[in-house]
Amino acid sequence: MSQAVSFYATTILVYFGVDILACWSFNLQYGVAGVLNFAFIMFQAVGAYTAAVLTLGPSSGNGGFQQYILGWTLPFPIPILVGGVVAGALAYVVGLVALRRLRSDYQAMVMLVISVIATLIVTNQTNLFNGPAGLSLIPQPLSSLASTNSYPWLFVGVTALICVIVYLFVHRVTSSPLGRTLRATRDNEDAAQALGKDVVKLRLFIFVFSNAIAGISGALLVQFIGAWSPGSWLYVETLVILTAVIVGGTGNNAGVILGALLVPVAFNEATRFIPPFGRPGLVDALQWIVIALLALVFLWFWPRGIIPERRRRFKVPAILLVGTDPPRSSAS
Amino acid sequence: MITGSVIVYSIGFGIVTASILALAAVGFTLQFGVTNILNLAFGDIMTSAAVVGYGVNAIGGNIAESLAAGAVFGAITSTLLNRYLYTPFVRHGTKLFGMVVVTLSVGIIFQNVVLGWFGPNFFSYKLSQSKTYDVAGMFFTSIQFTIIGLAVGVMIAVQLLLTKTRLGKAMRATAANPDLAQASGIATDRVIDAAWLISGALCGLSGVVLVLNTTTFQSTTGNDFLVIIIAAAMLGGVGRPLGALVGAVILGLATEVSAAYMSPSFKEVIAFVVLVVVLLVRPGGLFGNADTVRSANA
Repeated sequence: MSQAVSFYATTILVYFGVDILACWSFNLQYGVAGVLNFAFIMFQAVGAYTAAVLTLGPSSGNGGFQQYILGWTLPFPIPILVGGVVAGALAYVVGLVALRRLRSDYQAMVMLVISVIATLIVTNQTNLFNGPAGLSLIPQPLSSLASTNSYPWLFVGVTALICVIVYLFVHRVTSSPLGRTLRATRDNEDAAQALGKDVVKLRLFIFVFSNAIAGISGALLVQFIGAWSPGSWLYVETLVILTAVIVGGTGNNAGVILGALLVPVAFNEATRFIPPFGRPGLVDALQWIVIALLALVFLWFWPRGIIPERRRRFKVPAILLVGTDPPRSSAS
Repeated sequence: MITGSVIVYSIGFGIVTASILALAAVGFTLQFGVTNILNLAFGDIMTSAAVVGYGVNAIGGNIAESLAAGAVFGAITSTLLNRYLYTPFVRHGTKLFGMVVVTLSVGIIFQNVVLGWFGPNFFSYKLSQSKTYDVAGMFFTSIQFTIIGLAVGVMIAVQLLLTKTRLGKAMRATAANPDLAQASGIATDRVIDAAWLISGALCGLSGVVLVLNTTTFQSTTGNDFLVIIIAAAMLGGVGRPLGALVGAVILGLATEVSAAYMSPSFKEVIAFVVLVVVLLVRPGGLFGNADTVRSANA
């Protein structure tokens, strides 16, 4: 494999891994718990920036051309993990405000506003994350372990490993009684509440948990690319992940992998091969229009996605069937 | 140093911002009140209306003609959107947060049509150099006077429409309980169309005046303003036109006066602080009923 092809392939694989993590995280909130987190990209960004400032040396280094906080030069994998923790902590604070028993659309709107405000703060508060210019020259982790040519493959391995570990956690949540309860609160909040489930607390838990995953995905991405700026974390980017989840199959962990492959990965790559035409920005604009149309078309024709959520059936315990005829099974 | 005259000066700015915000927030809240839809495409339709106003301006139209064109565009676009896209989706069984995805997608489409058409540059209205007037230490251009007058006139008209006319009463009845309204002989479909025509016209008007005030715009201008519109509507209680008006005045003044004390780029942060406080203390807003925004399995 030539070096260029190898580099291209590894870049796509890392992006794919990051998008899978993002889609799992978003799906836990949107597909499983019924929380539409329009501030999703903010949590990914927070994880990314945290990892960046923990990996970078002190801000006075490199002639002090960029300003940021911390600068602790911590070794892999601490920055990525802390990125997840910080994103989770922020999710806790945001969740306390936004996850109260509000209408789901009202909730989504609050999150959207929070996301826009976060961008404004990061862009204007230059000493925090270097303002609109963003951060660059972020050292790549474990770079001493491999040569320049084989390093990207090492990173693909790291990404795959993180994906597997995260999947174990995600699967544990979705297949457990907790996951069942979350789906119950999604489908009928009042009924779940009546059965003694603390809806707000459950949602807050899943919000913190899944946004920590979002933070890890962002951290991983920034470690790979080595640079990032607030312009790449605008709230509309959430729509890409949202569309991926809707297309792949809302509520289905395997489905959203397909979604991650089709929407963020295939789309970004497809447009790379279209020769630029028209005025500057036209290809970008068309790309957004198509993604938005994709979300609309799927919501209308295939709201459950390509690989729909499995219908879960549960046997009713025999003791509950006494006196009722004929025997029936109830679906969740 | 912050001197008294700076504060008076910024209050002047605040009044102008409040006027623009009032037009937008009342339109936004009306759509929610009557049809239960939080239309996140609102800001992008404002931008599109500003583009239409720009087109009229570019072929030699005056301000009034630009405003009228923007209002008509906003009214027709919003009504068609609701009738042929939002309503079918609701009838199709799309849930509340599904509708947020729908409206956001529509907004993105509008925004990127403008971006694709005009490119990422800023565009400027051609306006004749207008005189500046000094009113008790506040400075207004004649365009800003027009904006304030327009806002006051429209607000009075909307309030009279909602409280005094049959159509307004039918709208309020439809907002309160669409099934009961229909059973009582109100043609709710037509009332909803009328509500979207009016709120769409407000949307278009606010888009043009937003750009008239700053004179330049780009594809994201309206959407950038949406955050403050949402905050104003929430502050007053979503679905309450009078509340949105009060919310707009409070936020318009608060953002501009605070801009005298700190970086103007933090204006929206004030809107955000207001929003958080409202959510924590009174989730229904100042005039709203908390039940409106409580979760229900709708």
